[in-house]
Amino acid sequence: MGVGRSYTIGDELPPLVKHMTQEAINLFEGSAGHHGPSQFTDEATARATLGTRGTVASGRMSLTFALEFLRRYFGSSIFNRGGMVDLRFLRPVRPGDFVTFKGKITGITKEANGSRVSVEISATNQTGETTGAGGGNCLVPSGFLPPDE
Amino acid sequence: MAQSAENARKPLDWEKLEIGETFPAFSYVLTQEMLDEYRTGVTDPEAAFPTISHKVDVGAYNRAYTDAGSVNARCAFYCYNPPAPGKRITVHAWIADKYLRRGKTYICTEAVSVDEDGRLLDRVITHELKQPGEVGKKWG
Repeated sequence: MGVGRSYTIGDELPPLVKHMTQEAINLFEGSAGHHGPSQFTDEATARATLGTRGTVASGRMSLTFALEFLRRYFGSSIFNRGGMVDLRFLRPVRPGDFVTFKGKITGITKEANGSRVSVEISATNQTGETTGAGGGNCLVPSGFLPPDE
Repeated sequence: MAQSAENARKPLDWEKLEIGETFPAFSYVLTQEMLDEYRTGVTDPEAAFPTISHKVDVGAYNRAYTDAGSVNARCAFYCYNPPAPGKRITVHAWIADKYLRRGKTYICTEAVSVDEDGRLLDRVITHELKQPGEVGKKWG
Protein backbone atom coordinates (compact mmCIF):
# COMPACT_ATOMS: atom_id res chain seq x y z
CA MET A 1 0.00 0.00 0.00
CA GLY A 2 1.36 3.43 -0.95
CA VAL A 3 1.61 6.48 1.25
CA GLY A 4 -1.88 7.61 2.19
CA ARG A 5 -3.42 11.01 1.98
CA SER A 6 -3.12 13.41 4.88
CA TYR A 7 -5.89 15.55 6.34
CA THR A 8 -5.46 18.81 8.23
CA ILE A 9 -7.96 20.83 10.23
CA GLY A 10 -8.94 23.86 8.17
CA ASP A 11 -8.52 22.12 4.81
CA GLU A 12 -11.30 23.21 2.45
CA LEU A 13 -13.12 20.73 0.26
CA PRO A 14 -13.63 21.43 -3.45
CA PRO A 15 -17.15 22.95 -3.78
CA LEU A 16 -19.93 20.99 -5.44
CA VAL A 17 -22.65 22.78 -7.46
CA LYS A 18 -25.94 21.05 -8.24
CA HIS A 19 -28.77 22.30 -10.42
CA MET A 20 -32.26 21.46 -9.17
CA THR A 21 -34.89 20.82 -11.81
CA GLN A 22 -38.47 19.58 -11.64
CA GLU A 23 -37.46 16.65 -13.83
CA ALA A 24 -34.76 15.70 -11.32
CA ILE A 25 -37.25 15.94 -8.45
CA ASN A 26 -39.72 13.74 -10.33
CA LEU A 27 -37.03 11.13 -11.01
CA PHE A 28 -35.89 11.16 -7.39
CA GLU A 29 -39.44 10.62 -6.13
CA GLY A 30 -40.27 8.11 -8.87
CA SER A 31 -37.19 6.01 -8.21
CA ALA A 32 -38.83 4.81 -5.01
CA GLY A 33 -42.28 4.38 -6.53
CA HIS A 34 -43.64 7.70 -5.26
CA HIS A 35 -45.57 8.56 -8.42
CA GLY A 36 -48.66 10.21 -6.96
CA PRO A 37 -49.01 13.98 -6.63
CA SER A 38 -47.04 15.38 -3.72
CA GLN A 39 -45.62 18.66 -2.48
CA PHE A 40 -42.52 17.75 -4.47
CA THR A 41 -44.12 16.99 -7.81
CA ASP A 42 -47.42 18.85 -7.98
CA GLU A 43 -47.87 22.61 -7.59
CA ALA A 44 -51.45 22.41 -6.35
CA THR A 45 -50.51 19.90 -3.67
CA ALA A 46 -47.55 22.05 -2.63
CA ARG A 47 -49.79 25.13 -2.32
CA ALA A 48 -52.37 23.18 -0.31
CA THR A 49 -49.92 21.39 1.99
CA LEU A 50 -47.05 23.83 2.39
CA GLY A 51 -48.59 27.11 1.31
CA THR A 52 -45.65 27.63 -1.04
CA ARG A 53 -45.87 29.23 -4.48
CA GLY A 54 -44.79 26.00 -6.13
CA THR A 55 -43.10 22.68 -5.59
CA VAL A 56 -40.03 22.24 -3.44
CA ALA A 57 -37.38 19.55 -3.49
CA SER A 58 -37.25 16.94 -0.77
CA GLY A 59 -34.59 17.67 1.81
CA ARG A 60 -33.31 14.20 1.04
CA MET A 61 -32.10 15.46 -2.33
CA SER A 62 -29.88 17.99 -0.55
CA LEU A 63 -28.82 15.18 1.78
CA THR A 64 -27.85 13.10 -1.26
CA PHE A 65 -25.84 16.00 -2.69
CA ALA A 66 -24.03 16.44 0.62
CA LEU A 67 -23.15 12.75 0.58
CA GLU A 68 -21.80 13.16 -2.97
CA PHE A 69 -19.80 16.20 -1.79
CA LEU A 70 -18.03 14.19 0.90
CA ARG A 71 -17.75 11.00 -1.18
CA ARG A 72 -15.89 12.88 -3.92
CA TYR A 73 -13.45 14.18 -1.31
CA PHE A 74 -12.80 11.01 0.66
CA GLY A 75 -13.29 8.52 -2.18
CA SER A 76 -16.14 6.07 -2.56
CA SER A 77 -14.23 3.05 -1.26
CA ILE A 78 -13.83 4.76 2.11
CA PHE A 79 -16.85 7.04 2.38
CA ASN A 80 -19.50 4.51 1.31
CA ARG A 81 -18.42 2.23 4.16
CA GLY A 82 -17.85 4.68 6.95
CA GLY A 83 -19.20 8.09 6.07
CA MET A 84 -22.16 10.07 7.30
CA VAL A 85 -23.91 13.41 6.86
CA ASP A 86 -26.22 15.30 9.23
CA LEU A 87 -27.92 18.24 7.52
CA ARG A 88 -30.49 20.78 8.72
CA PHE A 89 -32.76 22.18 6.03
CA LEU A 90 -33.04 25.93 6.51
CA ARG A 91 -34.75 27.17 3.34
CA PRO A 92 -36.69 25.46 0.56
CA VAL A 93 -34.77 24.38 -2.53
CA ARG A 94 -36.94 24.91 -5.59
CA PRO A 95 -36.79 23.88 -9.24
CA GLY A 96 -34.33 26.15 -11.05
CA ASP A 97 -32.09 26.66 -8.02
CA PHE A 98 -28.35 26.14 -8.14
CA VAL A 99 -27.08 24.88 -4.81
CA THR A 100 -23.41 25.07 -3.86
CA PHE A 101 -21.99 22.83 -1.15
CA LYS A 102 -18.89 24.00 0.69
CA GLY A 103 -17.02 22.59 3.64
CA LYS A 104 -13.84 22.37 5.60
CA ILE A 105 -12.26 19.94 8.00
CA THR A 106 -13.04 20.78 11.60
CA GLY A 107 -11.66 17.83 13.51
CA ILE A 108 -9.65 14.62 13.35
CA THR A 109 -9.95 12.04 16.09
CA LYS A 110 -8.25 8.69 16.48
CA GLU A 111 -10.51 5.67 16.77
CA ALA A 112 -9.88 1.98 17.19
CA ASN A 113 -10.00 1.34 13.45
CA GLY A 114 -8.68 4.56 11.95
CA SER A 115 -9.22 8.29 12.20
CA ARG A 116 -12.55 10.05 12.00
CA VAL A 117 -12.30 13.20 9.89
CA SER A 118 -15.11 15.68 10.58
CA VAL A 119 -16.31 18.26 8.09
CA GLU A 120 -18.53 21.34 8.46
CA ILE A 121 -20.97 21.64 5.56
CA SER A 122 -22.98 24.55 4.19
CA ALA A 123 -25.31 24.73 1.21
CA THR A 124 -26.23 28.04 -0.43
CA ASN A 125 -28.43 28.90 -3.37
CA GLN A 126 -27.66 31.17 -6.33
CA THR A 127 -28.61 34.29 -4.35
CA GLY A 128 -26.31 33.39 -1.48
CA GLU A 129 -29.02 32.27 0.93
CA THR A 130 -28.15 29.32 3.11
CA THR A 131 -30.45 26.39 2.33
CA GLY A 132 -28.76 23.81 4.51
CA ALA A 133 -26.10 23.49 7.17
CA GLY A 134 -24.59 20.76 9.22
CA GLY A 135 -21.73 18.38 9.18
CA GLY A 136 -20.47 15.00 8.28
CA ASN A 137 -17.57 12.73 8.89
CA CYS A 138 -15.73 9.79 7.50
CA LEU A 139 -13.85 7.03 9.23
CA VAL A 140 -10.56 6.78 7.34
CA PRO A 141 -8.79 3.47 8.01
CA SER A 142 -5.20 3.88 9.18
CA GLY A 143 -4.02 2.09 6.03
CA PHE A 144 -5.17 5.07 3.99
CA LEU A 145 -3.32 7.59 6.15
CA PRO A 146 0.37 8.49 6.14
CA PRO A 147 2.34 6.54 8.75
CA ASP A 148 2.62 8.17 12.16
CA GLU A 149 5.85 10.10 12.72
CA MET B 1 -56.54 -4.74 0.95
CA ALA B 2 -55.45 -1.15 0.48
CA GLN B 3 -58.66 -0.02 2.12
CA SER B 4 -58.05 -2.16 5.22
CA ALA B 5 -54.47 -0.87 5.44
CA GLU B 6 -55.80 2.68 5.25
CA ASN B 7 -58.33 1.92 7.98
CA ALA B 8 -55.54 0.60 10.20
CA ARG B 9 -53.86 3.99 10.25
CA LYS B 10 -54.65 6.17 13.21
CA PRO B 11 -54.59 9.95 13.51
CA LEU B 12 -51.40 11.24 15.06
CA ASP B 13 -51.77 12.38 18.66
CA TRP B 14 -48.37 13.96 19.21
CA GLU B 15 -48.80 14.09 22.98
CA LYS B 16 -49.43 10.36 23.13
CA LEU B 17 -46.80 9.32 20.60
CA GLU B 18 -44.28 7.13 22.40
CA ILE B 19 -40.54 7.46 21.84
CA GLY B 20 -39.34 3.94 21.10
CA GLU B 21 -42.48 2.85 19.29
CA THR B 22 -41.35 0.29 16.74
CA PHE B 23 -43.07 -0.18 13.40
CA PRO B 24 -43.56 -3.51 11.63
CA ALA B 25 -40.51 -4.47 9.57
CA PHE B 26 -41.02 -4.40 5.82
CA SER B 27 -39.00 -5.38 2.80
CA TYR B 28 -38.63 -4.60 -0.89
CA VAL B 29 -36.36 -5.61 -3.74
CA LEU B 30 -34.04 -2.90 -5.01
CA THR B 31 -34.04 -3.02 -8.81
CA GLN B 32 -31.46 -1.76 -11.28
CA GLU B 33 -34.17 0.51 -12.69
CA MET B 34 -34.64 2.13 -9.25
CA LEU B 35 -30.91 2.70 -8.97
CA ASP B 36 -30.63 4.14 -12.49
CA GLU B 37 -33.59 6.47 -12.00
CA TYR B 38 -32.22 7.65 -8.66
CA ARG B 39 -28.77 8.33 -10.13
CA THR B 40 -30.28 10.27 -13.03
CA GLY B 41 -32.42 12.32 -10.65
CA VAL B 42 -29.48 13.34 -8.49
CA THR B 43 -27.14 13.71 -11.51
CA ASP B 44 -24.57 11.48 -9.90
CA PRO B 45 -23.71 8.26 -11.78
CA GLU B 46 -21.86 6.97 -8.70
CA ALA B 47 -24.60 7.65 -6.14
CA ALA B 48 -24.57 4.50 -4.05
CA PHE B 49 -27.52 4.77 -1.68
CA PRO B 50 -30.84 4.86 -3.55
CA THR B 51 -32.37 3.79 -0.25
CA ILE B 52 -32.47 7.53 0.56
CA SER B 53 -35.28 8.24 -1.88
CA HIS B 54 -37.35 5.40 -0.41
CA LYS B 55 -37.77 7.49 2.77
CA VAL B 56 -38.05 4.25 4.69
CA ASP B 57 -38.21 5.75 8.16
CA VAL B 58 -41.04 8.18 7.54
CA GLY B 59 -42.67 5.64 5.23
CA ALA B 60 -43.01 3.27 8.15
CA TYR B 61 -44.51 6.07 10.23
CA ASN B 62 -46.93 7.00 7.44
CA ARG B 63 -48.21 3.44 7.23
CA ALA B 64 -49.15 3.66 10.90
CA TYR B 65 -50.40 7.24 11.26
CA THR B 66 -52.32 9.91 9.42
CA ASP B 67 -51.57 13.60 9.94
CA ALA B 68 -51.68 16.97 8.20
CA GLY B 69 -48.38 16.37 6.45
CA SER B 70 -44.86 17.26 7.36
CA VAL B 71 -41.66 19.00 6.35
CA ASN B 72 -38.22 17.52 6.62
CA ALA B 73 -36.29 19.73 9.03
CA ARG B 74 -33.15 17.69 9.47
CA CYS B 75 -31.81 14.39 8.23
CA ALA B 76 -28.78 12.27 9.07
CA PHE B 77 -27.59 9.38 6.97
CA TYR B 78 -24.93 6.79 7.84
CA CYS B 79 -23.30 4.73 5.07
CA TYR B 80 -22.21 1.18 5.91
CA ASN B 81 -22.47 -0.83 2.67
CA PRO B 82 -23.94 0.22 -0.69
CA PRO B 83 -27.05 -1.84 -1.51
CA ALA B 84 -26.86 -4.13 -4.54
CA PRO B 85 -29.61 -4.26 -7.17
CA GLY B 86 -31.58 -7.51 -7.10
CA LYS B 87 -31.22 -7.96 -3.35
CA ARG B 88 -34.17 -7.85 -0.97
CA ILE B 89 -33.81 -5.14 1.63
CA THR B 90 -35.48 -5.33 5.03
CA VAL B 91 -36.17 -2.16 6.99
CA HIS B 92 -36.61 -1.76 10.73
CA ALA B 93 -37.98 1.63 11.78
CA TRP B 94 -39.02 3.30 15.01
CA ILE B 95 -39.83 6.61 16.69
CA ALA B 96 -36.48 7.88 17.95
CA ASP B 97 -37.54 11.17 19.51
CA LYS B 98 -40.11 13.95 19.61
CA TYR B 99 -39.80 17.53 20.74
CA LEU B 100 -41.49 20.90 20.89
CA ARG B 101 -39.60 23.92 19.54
CA ARG B 102 -40.95 27.47 19.25
CA GLY B 103 -44.44 26.08 19.73
CA LYS B 104 -44.12 23.60 16.85
CA THR B 105 -44.15 19.84 17.15
CA TYR B 106 -41.47 17.63 15.68
CA ILE B 107 -41.07 13.89 15.48
CA CYS B 108 -37.87 12.03 14.82
CA THR B 109 -37.96 8.69 13.01
CA GLU B 110 -35.05 6.32 12.58
CA ALA B 111 -34.51 3.23 10.43
CA VAL B 112 -31.84 0.74 9.51
CA SER B 113 -31.76 -1.22 6.25
CA VAL B 114 -30.27 -4.72 6.00
CA ASP B 115 -30.00 -6.81 2.85
CA GLU B 116 -30.87 -10.50 2.40
CA ASP B 117 -27.23 -11.47 3.08
CA GLY B 118 -27.38 -9.78 6.46
CA ARG B 119 -25.23 -6.80 5.44
CA LEU B 120 -26.05 -3.60 7.30
CA LEU B 121 -26.56 -1.01 4.55
CA ASP B 122 -27.40 2.29 6.15
CA ARG B 123 -29.09 4.15 8.98
CA VAL B 124 -31.28 7.20 8.55
CA ILE B 125 -32.63 9.64 11.13
CA THR B 126 -35.21 12.24 10.11
CA HIS B 127 -36.65 15.18 12.04
CA GLU B 128 -40.04 16.23 10.68
CA LEU B 129 -41.94 19.41 11.50
CA LYS B 130 -45.59 18.40 11.73
CA GLN B 131 -46.95 21.81 10.74
CA PRO B 132 -46.05 21.89 7.02
CA GLY B 133 -47.87 25.17 6.40
CA GLU B 134 -45.10 26.95 8.29
CA VAL B 135 -42.92 26.67 5.17
CA GLY B 136 -45.26 28.76 3.05
CA LYS B 137 -45.80 31.27 5.86
CA LYS B 138 -42.08 31.86 6.23
CA TRP B 139 -40.71 31.44 2.71
CA GLY B 140 -43.68 31.69 0.38
